[in-house]
Amino acid sequence: MAYFSDDAARSIIREAYARVRSEAAAVAEAYYEPDELARLPRGAVELALGVGHPLRHALLQPGEAVLDLGCGAGIDTLLAALAVGPTGRVVGLDMTPEMVERARRHASEMGLANVQVLEGLIEKIPLPDASVDVVVSNGVLNLSTRKSRVLAEAFRVLRPGGRLAIADLVLDEALPEDVLKSPAALAG
Amino acid sequence: MLLKKFFNVGFEGIAVLERRGCGLEDLERYPLFAPQFLDFLRKAIPSHRHAEIASAVAITARRPAFSSPKED
Repeated sequence: MAYFSDDAARSIIREAYARVRSEAAAVAEAYYEPDELARLPRGAVELALGVGHPLRHALLQPGEAVLDLGCGAGIDTLLAALAVGPTGRVVGLDMTPEMVERARRHASEMGLANVQVLEGLIEKIPLPDASVDVVVSNGVLNLSTRKSRVLAEAFRVLRPGGRLAIADLVLDEALPEDVLKSPAALAG
Repeated sequence: MLLKKFFNVGFEGIAVLERRGCGLEDLERYPLFAPQFLDFLRKAIPSHRHAEIASAVAITARRPAFSSPKED
């Protein structure tokens, strides 16, 4: 049962992610190697909000085109850009303007010319059919009220033979109704 | 349930490569969650589930080499 409409859910999530601030790197340090984090701007490390390290399973190759669904402040987008190199390209997509701005700033700080950060919905990806080799996502699919739609869009933008690698949260047992109705729980 | 959604849109080679419990201690790392909200979760969720509220998974899949998107 859905307790929030699509629009209400997006509004709650946008607001939560727009105001998030952090001066710690506890999330990033839980999932990424120190030498990876050392290559990134501090802001991207401190605003890592994912639940794993999907790039470990994406097996990125130089020259590939990558889409990061719900890129946030950009940690996976930036690491993907380093992995695919100057002959590849990475698109970060996020619906929260503040996160888009942060990701763009972090890419700029690293001098990455192969990164493009777009503002938009993961349920309506602003890219042509069959335009990327790999789709990655980290802790984002669970936030959508239309998960099948997100997956269908990921399928559409992947070229035939393209790969998807995501890290996310799943519930093995339903949470109490009070929690499911909580906007703060939705945003997490 | 989630894996079925991958299958239904046409992905193949769907695999769960990691699965680990995610509990209240893990949530404390996230700046998204205020201490008051974590207190609310402690009260609202039975204590036997505090160490594992959800599972963090890594899933990979592939679009078949010869495929077109399914219609909505």
